[in-house]
Amino acid sequence: MTGPARVVAPNPSADDDAELIEASRLRPERFAAIFDRYFTEIHRYVDRRLGADAADDIAAETFLVAFRKRDRFDPARDSARPWLYGIATRLVSRHRRNESRRYRALARVGVDPHAEGPEDRVAARVTASGTGFQLSSALAGLSRGDRDVLLLVALGDLTYEEVAQALGIAYGTVCSRLSRARRKVRAALGDLGDLGGRKGGEENHG
Amino acid sequence: MDELKMIGDLLTPERPASGQVIADARGRLLDEARTANRFARLLRSGRVWLTLALISGVTAALAIVPTVLLGGERSVEAPPGTRPAKPGKALNVLVVGSDRRLGAPGARADTMILLHLSADRKSLKGVSLPRDLMVRIPACESPSGAAVRGHLGLIGSAFTTGGLTCAWKTVESVTGVRVDHAMAIDYTGFKGMVDALGGVEIRLPSAVDDPYSGLRLPAGRHVVRGEQALAYVRTRRGIEDGSDLARIKNQQRFLAAMLSKAGDSLTDPARLYAFLRAADKAIEADPKLDLTTMYAIARGAKVTETGGATFVTAPFSPYPADPNRIQLKAGAAERLFVSLR
Repeated sequence: MTGPARVVAPNPSADDDAELIEASRLRPERFAAIFDRYFTEIHRYVDRRLGADAADDIAAETFLVAFRKRDRFDPARDSARPWLYGIATRLVSRHRRNESRRYRALARVGVDPHAEGPEDRVAARVTASGTGFQLSSALAGLSRGDRDVLLLVALGDLTYEEVAQALGIAYGTVCSRLSRARRKVRAALGDLGDLGGRKGGEENHG
Repeated sequence: MDELKMIGDLLTPERPASGQVIADARGRLLDEARTANRFARLLRSGRVWLTLALISGVTAALAIVPTVLLGGERSVEAPPGTRPAKPGKALNVLVVGSDRRLGAPGARADTMILLHLSADRKSLKGVSLPRDLMVRIPACESPSGAAVRGHLGLIGSAFTTGGLTCAWKTVESVTGVRVDHAMAIDYTGFKGMVDALGGVEIRLPSAVDDPYSGLRLPAGRHVVRGEQALAYVRTRRGIEDGSDLARIKNQQRFLAAMLSKAGDSLTDPARLYAFLRAADKAIEADPKLDLTTMYAIARGAKVTETGGATFVTAPFSPYPADPNRIQLKAGAAERLFVSLR
């Protein structure tokens, strides 16, 4: 595995994102600071959903789209992070067929010991714990909306409020989508048998 | 182990973005920024009003606030000397429509409108000051530096003899309202702006044939541009009672239609650019407002539709010494002006 395990804390200097974006209306080149701050993280998020090659394009596109829409950034929000995740997520959704295919591929390598390539090795390792196949299949089977919410929380560490901002949906919708997605994933994992005891647990997110 | 963590472990990244990928992506962004910069530079250098509003996504009615009154060679200074106090956060802008090319000698004020954006930025009011209004014109200095003594005269003559600064001083003196900014726009500029908008729709209750302004149109709805648009705001024959006041009403209607059109159409970058070019050439304004302030104003404005904008004419009564002239109506005019402070 490359890079740090998870990027948990929001960027510590994010409090002046709004100011930077504001300044970039008249001094467009200022927007480069937003790029420098978040590109690696957004790239990593897209990589985890679609793979590194797609991430190279989509992460770059994310910042172009953000730049063009900078006038619409709500200055009341300090951090640009949820906004950028939202843009990246919408771009990822154009590739959702590829994404599902990728998850199915991940699921397949779970049963294919001859799989090659970095993603396959990773998948194989997870599969060794006995869950990769079910998890990948479950992700592939989620609706787009449910999957976006689930992965923004799981991969982006966005709060529910931030997910609502990112996708432009209501807070309540975030909660209901997340709870449905988690239920489906748990059900898939539950089929494994060794996780059966966890049924009914993990309701801490409501 | 919870499923979110398991998902995180399953979906590990393949590889981080390489230096080349980052450099390429950053390069693409900067290219885009350079293109955008051409607009931004025009904004920074132009004496452009509507833009602000548009760039910051504020809607039509606000677009009227000619806040982007940036400096430039045709810019004017605020009047010297004692001025009315500015008690609150309301914003007042004087707009003078001139009948000649700006800077040309003898340019006359064809129309004067005082725009008022309320302190809470939720409403916009335009008060037309009829050009036949007799007022006390304070002592001014003409653009050539000659002293003009205080005298009684038509409100528009302050502009003719003393330029925009003198018109500004006169309006402040007559109304007691602190005017924050002033701008003048000439016919050529007006036509250019209407054309850049792709024309503006007007409604004629009856057919008009006015050889003086050149307006000749059947009754009904028309999209006018260029000379026709100008003729429409200038004509006083063939419409209603043929008075200057009927003409003012037309101007107010036209302005409202123009605002609404601006709000709709200037989201198209090519249109916006054409409009800015036209506005840039046509407007003379004061340089005092800095960009930060302007953006704060535009962003803070909450006038969301033209319904939030109203146009009125300053209350007047006949001028006893000359039936062709009018004067401000004591009491009513005073109350209106007080509400603008």
